[in-house]
Amino acid sequence: MGTTTAIRTKTYVGERIRRKEDPRLITGTATYVDDIQMPGMHHASIVRSPHAAARIKGIDAKRALETPGVVAVFTGADVKEVGPVPCGASLPGLRVPQHSILARDRVYFVGHPVAVVVATDRYVARDAVDLVEVDYEPLPAVADPERALEPGAPAVHPEWPDNVAFTYHQEGGDVNKAFAGAEVVVKQRITSQRLIPTAMETRGVVADWRAGDKALTLYSSTQIPHLLRTLVAMMLGLAENRLRVVAPEVGGGFGSKLNVYAEEALMGFVAMRIGKPVKWIESRRENFAATIHGRGHVDYFELAANKDGTILGLKLKLIQDLGAYHQLLTPAIPTLSVLMIPGVYRFQNVFCDIVGVFTNCVPTDAYRGAGRPEATHGIERMVDILADELKIDAAEIRRKNFVRPDEFPFATATGLSYDSGNYAAPLDKALEIVDYNRLLEEQQQARKEGRLVGVGISTYGEICAFGPSPATPAGGWESGSVNIDPTGKVTVATGASPHGQGEETTFAQIAADELGIDIDDVVVVHGDTAIVSYGIGTFGSRATAVGGTAVYFALQELKKKIGTFGAMLLDSGDVSYRAGRCICNKTGKSVSLSEIAAASYRAMKLPPNTEPGLVSTCFWEPPNFTFPFGAHIAVTEIDRETGAVSVKRYVAVDDCGKIINPLLVDGQVHGGVVQGLGQALFEQAVYDETGQLVTGELMDYAVPKATMVPWIESSHTETPSPVNPLGVKGVGEAGTIGASPAIVNSVVDALSHLGVQHLDMPLTPERVWRTLQQHGGQA
Amino acid sequence: MKISGAYRLSLPQERAYALLQDPAMLAHCMPGAERLDKVGEDEYQMKLRMSIASISGNFDGRVRVADKNPHQSFRLVVEGTGKIGFVRGDGLLRIAAEDSGSNVTYEGDVQVGGTIAAVGQRLLDVTSKMMIKRFFDKFAEAAASA
Amino acid sequence: MIPQSFDYSAPATLKEALAQVSSGAKPLAGGMSLVPIMKLRLAAPEQLVDLGRIPELNYIRKEGSELRIGAMTTHYQIESSPLVRADCALLGETAGRIGDVQVRNVGTIGGSVAHADPAADYPAALLALGASLKLVSTGGERVLAAAQFFLDTFTTALDPGELIAEVRVPVSSGAGTAYVKLAQPASGFALVGIAARLVRAGNRIGSAAIGVTGVGPKAYRASEVERLLAAGKPTREAALHITGGIDVNSDLHASAEYRRHLASVYAARAIELAWSRTE
Ligand SMILES: Cc1cc2nc3c(=O)[nH]c(=O)nc-3n(C[C@H](O)[C@H](O)[C@H](O)COP(=O)(O)OP(=O)(O)OC[C@H]3O[C@@H](n4cnc5c(N)ncnc54)[C@H](O)[C@@H]3O)c2cc1C
Repeated sequence: MGTTTAIRTKTYVGERIRRKEDPRLITGTATYVDDIQMPGMHHASIVRSPHAAARIKGIDAKRALETPGVVAVFTGADVKEVGPVPCGASLPGLRVPQHSILARDRVYFVGHPVAVVVATDRYVARDAVDLVEVDYEPLPAVADPERALEPGAPAVHPEWPDNVAFTYHQEGGDVNKAFAGAEVVVKQRITSQRLIPTAMETRGVVADWRAGDKALTLYSSTQIPHLLRTLVAMMLGLAENRLRVVAPEVGGGFGSKLNVYAEEALMGFVAMRIGKPVKWIESRRENFAATIHGRGHVDYFELAANKDGTILGLKLKLIQDLGAYHQLLTPAIPTLSVLMIPGVYRFQNVFCDIVGVFTNCVPTDAYRGAGRPEATHGIERMVDILADELKIDAAEIRRKNFVRPDEFPFATATGLSYDSGNYAAPLDKALEIVDYNRLLEEQQQARKEGRLVGVGISTYGEICAFGPSPATPAGGWESGSVNIDPTGKVTVATGASPHGQGEETTFAQIAADELGIDIDDVVVVHGDTAIVSYGIGTFGSRATAVGGTAVYFALQELKKKIGTFGAMLLDSGDVSYRAGRCICNKTGKSVSLSEIAAASYRAMKLPPNTEPGLVSTCFWEPPNFTFPFGAHIAVTEIDRETGAVSVKRYVAVDDCGKIINPLLVDGQVHGGVVQGLGQALFEQAVYDETGQLVTGELMDYAVPKATMVPWIESSHTETPSPVNPLGVKGVGEAGTIGASPAIVNSVVDALSHLGVQHLDMPLTPERVWRTLQQHGGQA
Repeated sequence: MKISGAYRLSLPQERAYALLQDPAMLAHCMPGAERLDKVGEDEYQMKLRMSIASISGNFDGRVRVADKNPHQSFRLVVEGTGKIGFVRGDGLLRIAAEDSGSNVTYEGDVQVGGTIAAVGQRLLDVTSKMMIKRFFDKFAEAAASA
Repeated sequence: MIPQSFDYSAPATLKEALAQVSSGAKPLAGGMSLVPIMKLRLAAPEQLVDLGRIPELNYIRKEGSELRIGAMTTHYQIESSPLVRADCALLGETAGRIGDVQVRNVGTIGGSVAHADPAADYPAALLALGASLKLVSTGGERVLAAAQFFLDTFTTALDPGELIAEVRVPVSSGAGTAYVKLAQPASGFALVGIAARLVRAGNRIGSAAIGVTGVGPKAYRASEVERLLAAGKPTREAALHITGGIDVNSDLHASAEYRRHLASVYAARAIELAWSRTE
């Protein structure tokens, strides 16, 4: 106990703090699923269908079983007791196909798991996969969602010959009136192609069954360890407290690991059957064929407006390619598109119909942005089409239609309440950064020289921080615990299990500031159901806004208790807590956090009605979503002779509320923009008409590489969210959402004087070249 | 994938028509064919070992001759399944007399599945053209000495 | 991605390697083409003989009017060699356009040439340069012109038991050269790659050699374009003949129609760039 020493004035929130996770990641000392070794561990390899649709007439595993080292082969018949792969989304009238963890008598897509081979060695297991003879009777397949809706198309599930899994309608305002009174209506079919999430680490599972304890531990590369525990326990018929799920280092997910996969339950089943630990690591080919894809929209838009550019209403018919099954959230994703279809605009008349279509493809589900990139791409393209039609500047027409700063909270036609915003601020800043007026002059000059230069704007709004529990399938709160040791060191446990976002850093920043201690005295743990309170997970740009807030409130609770102990130790009724010390306001005497912590655990003396120890847990339920926004501008030039697009400049001004760590926010924006750019220019999962995934590997599926990415000029405005005390909104998906329309708008702008209204993604050189040919713009 | 092409043979039309359906010739000329056994009228079972550079794979398959329109055209259906995937080719061959020889044109569809489809996209077109060319080259050579 | 099991040896001399190759072992160079194929189980060689530990296959030296490059010389070594830059800039420029830096650090010229991928970069340059290859076997050696070596898609004149020991490139003095390529964004392979070598005669092209890759079943010399250029035809006009007589490839990434067009555009660009580099 001493008198006040120098007060720590440094705070961490808002600083560019380097990521605590990076040293282990970049020195190869992190532990991913595949790094886990266990005594007696076996290896599994999966037999998958090469057909998009086929009847299984028989499976002969004799030769595989005869291979030395192979201990078991399980097929659909063996796993009848295991519950179906769960669909967590519920929509009225939703048709839910029975989704067994191994195919029963039919396969529905290329990559469909048919059998699992278990061996003492990974190589043997893989060899033996080739020895399992599956007798298939190929059936007609359909891979294109619009084709699947045509009469007479092959039925993906014979019980539903129309291939319709659901229809969903949402409307607000009076669209018919809006369209009837409109001076102009623009229409466009816009697709958002299927994408392959391509996390750097593929999926992987290690299952360890302890028969003596009747307890199963599942290590899985997942974004949602607790939900996985609940659902896999149900599938396997285990009591939930007999299952522990550990998400070790997770090498990216982008939504593809926000799921419960057949293989996760399957490995649990195998471990329980063979009584030994078992590991399965997904190959890149399996990852492409059997892990969820994203997007997969065909959208028919109509936008009604007045001649001055005021948007009056929007109609949308959305065809969602669901694939053959519902994974965890498959049917819910397009409903998010509809929710966010008004974007950042004020119009109040919306009429949307979704048709969810079964195809003989791997299911689609949440992929970075999950429904919002599709919506934003649609509305931002439509606004540009309208601007072009009315010959209004693209920035001007947006400003005209923005929700105004004094209209927040703003009720949208789709039933949302936008929390806060100043949509013109990032747009103005982005325009200033690119020097918009000069840019437009340069563009005119370039056109005179015969060059094709485009300037594309997208102003996006998105929905984050999922979300209030009534609006999310499994609850939308998050847990946060803070545990102060007797020596005063702090452990934060979050249920928002990260997979690359850097929560070990940002949550430590929050805790260090609140407790006034050094950031290195804080450790953030996550991803183990045995040590972290039940949590929801990291997805939908929710971790900081919901999980960080839970940590924040747990800290407030603890600070009260610290104050109580401090007051007792200082024997004062008037104390305050600053810079890691409890200070008597009268005498200036103080005690440090570690002294308080020691006293709280030693418990020689306790304040009245106070338990020993310094531990607090908060389950925080958010009152609303948060709604980040921003403006992206892309400058592109098209090679007239070849159609190749090059991005000359890319400016991203994002408003994600209050920024905890600008370095990490930039990282999220950069990564997000690159993924959006990937969709705009390069990426496309292609199934041929027989349902073969012909972009089955990275040699045909083009993810952007560092050398293919422009310099990203990232900047911010900060409009705090009133939804949580940190004022944060979320930024994990923003870049992806803003990028694809900025790029496509830019390329279309470069061609608009030739009469081009729209181009679908990806803007491959050949596609652009063909457009040039059609519009007489080729060199 | 659509395929089409033409090949000139210095054989009279009738003889070209007959030889192109002759199982012994097919077995001899199909790249990689190891054996061809008759299983029915105009239907054969086949074992094939395909190898292109480092890539190789064994296929079990069937060959079927259909829609015969003597001396003018017939349909050739070839199906093969192996560990690296499956192939189905369905083509219409037209044989027309031309000068002293004949001109064979073909038009059809090739479908592939499995690994070949998933990772072979860049090379499907070139390799199938090469296989067809190899077939005809060998055929022309064998026919000349037959 | 797990290959089937195979035996592996890494001899220290060419002699030992040849003995193994003659008894059916498959040579392994950088493994940038062979290993992926094995992992995809499209190939399952029973025995691999790694040429990577044989010093006598890795060198770049000048002998007379030729550069001699050992088969195991990596793309990066060629790209960064001052000797190559000075005496055969085209080959260095081509090497620098192969795949990405990781691939260039490991992949070798011998492996690329032996593999004879119809979209590989080197063949275009080697054809334009009039290079030749030294092939060796336990029975002896022979030297073959690149034009005689590339027979068809993935098909070369290598006999069973034979290895490529060396690539020989005439020193190109006085010529202007260029390699230009449109890379397919996923794999990095050429949708179109054009190697041009021009010799100036006063104010016009004296002779031209144009190698093309990615366009047809194998790399080829565009002899019609060469002839037209030497005859004084304007570049753009001559370049239109770049795919003359060629059955142009079509795939997921570029239709035959587009490739044909690209080939002529890139041919013109290669010729213009090479011309600007003539002395
Ligand atoms: C991601 C990626 C991108 C690529 N992009 C390009 C590109 O843009 N352009 C391009 O040209 N290439 C590209 N490649 C291929 C690359 O250049 C390979 O390195 C090259 O094709 C093969 O060389 P290697 O040394 O790796 O040979 P390996 O893969 O080891 O061998 C290839 C074949 O050659 C045989 N072989 C090897 N050496 C000899 C020898 N001395 N004598 C006889 N036979 C031999 C082997 O048995 C095998 O059949 C790419 C590869 C990858 C993985």
